Amino acid sequence: MNWTCEQIETRLSEYVDGSLDASALSAFEGHANGCQRCAPLVARVAGIVAQMHALEMLAEPPQLAEQILARTLGPRANKAKRSGVLDWFRPMIQPRFAYGAVSVLVTFGVMIPALGIDWHKPKLADLRPINIYRAADREAHLVYARGAKFVSDLRVVYEIQSRLRPETEPQSAPDNEPQPTKSSPSGTTNGPQKNPRGLNRARQFSSAGVVLASAVPGACERISP
Amino acid sequence: MRRHARRVFNLCYRFTGNRTEAEDLSQEVFLRVYRTLASYRSIHGGFPTWLTSVSRNLLIDHYRRTRRERLTDSLDDAMPKLENKESSGRRPDQHALAGELSLQVQDALGKISPDLREAVILRDLQGLEYQEIQQVLQIPEGTVKSRINRGRIELARLLDQMGLRPH
Repeated sequence: MNWTCEQIETRLSEYVDGSLDASALSAFEGHANGCQRCAPLVARVAGIVAQMHALEMLAEPPQLAEQILARTLGPRANKAKRSGVLDWFRPMIQPRFAYGAVSVLVTFGVMIPALGIDWHKPKLADLRPINIYRAADREAHLVYARGAKFVSDLRVVYEIQSRLRPETEPQSAPDNEPQPTKSSPSGTTNGPQKNPRGLNRARQFSSAGVVLASAVPGACERISP
Repeated sequence: MRRHARRVFNLCYRFTGNRTEAEDLSQEVFLRVYRTLASYRSIHGGFPTWLTSVSRNLLIDHYRRTRRERLTDSLDDAMPKLENKESSGRRPDQHALAGELSLQVQDALGKISPDLREAVILRDLQGLEYQEIQQVLQIPEGTVKSRINRGRIELARLLDQMGLRPH
């Protein structure tokens, strides 16, 4: 296939870039090598393109990067000054510092009332060691007394519960699995055997009444005829 | 940042042919990029392609804005002074040779139409692939190839007229 000069000119860049396929390349070179008009043009364009590819990039003005940074991020001097000040506070912005600060505040919140210092009317005398010692001693005794009272109250409650529990626990089992033959001590099969749950509740109330009577004699006298 | 700044500066300089304008435009490009960074999506191509696209849009805006001024002022006055300021790590003879070539290429680029100029700059001086140029210019691939081809031929003819021969 013979190419014309117009075809050569149209596909000149493809030839220079090396993107012509084999048949097109053969046709291109077949014409270009023998054409007095096209051969110099091809050589000239190929040479210029090669020279332009070899050209290095021009160095940008040295102040360009600084100017770009100044116009986008602001003047660098101020930024440096601001960052210098921020450097002092940067550790305080971290979460662990915030946790530490909160724990210190909580500690003070607990310790200062314990040392007898009044938040609303702080006095210089509050900071004397003897006053701090007395306030701390008083608070410690108060805390101990409150603790001891709380423990003794708990003990009474547990004692009552432990007296009630041995009577109630064994009877909760038949509540789930009723055994009519054992629930009747007299051996009769009438009445209560038909309703074992009612029998168990009656026994529970009677045993609780016995315990209450022993714990609070006055109340039992009032209840019993 | 400096790598991108150099790339953007070169694109602006090759398009405008004026170092001061290129510097100002480079700053404008990065300012626009900074403001519209949230709108960047990877579907637009890589970041360099997007950056080139932003630069090209700004250059076109600048070109349209200053078209009237250019009709009265000739770019030829500015050209010789620009290249004298170039500096690189080459030897003096290489520097002179490269400077002369760069100067002539720049001179010829200023004489071809903006459509062809931007296509040749992106392809031969910025080293973009055809697909990237297609993304930047938002035109079909056939048009990209056609513009690059015509731009190269015009550039070669202009440089030939200037007396520059390929080595």
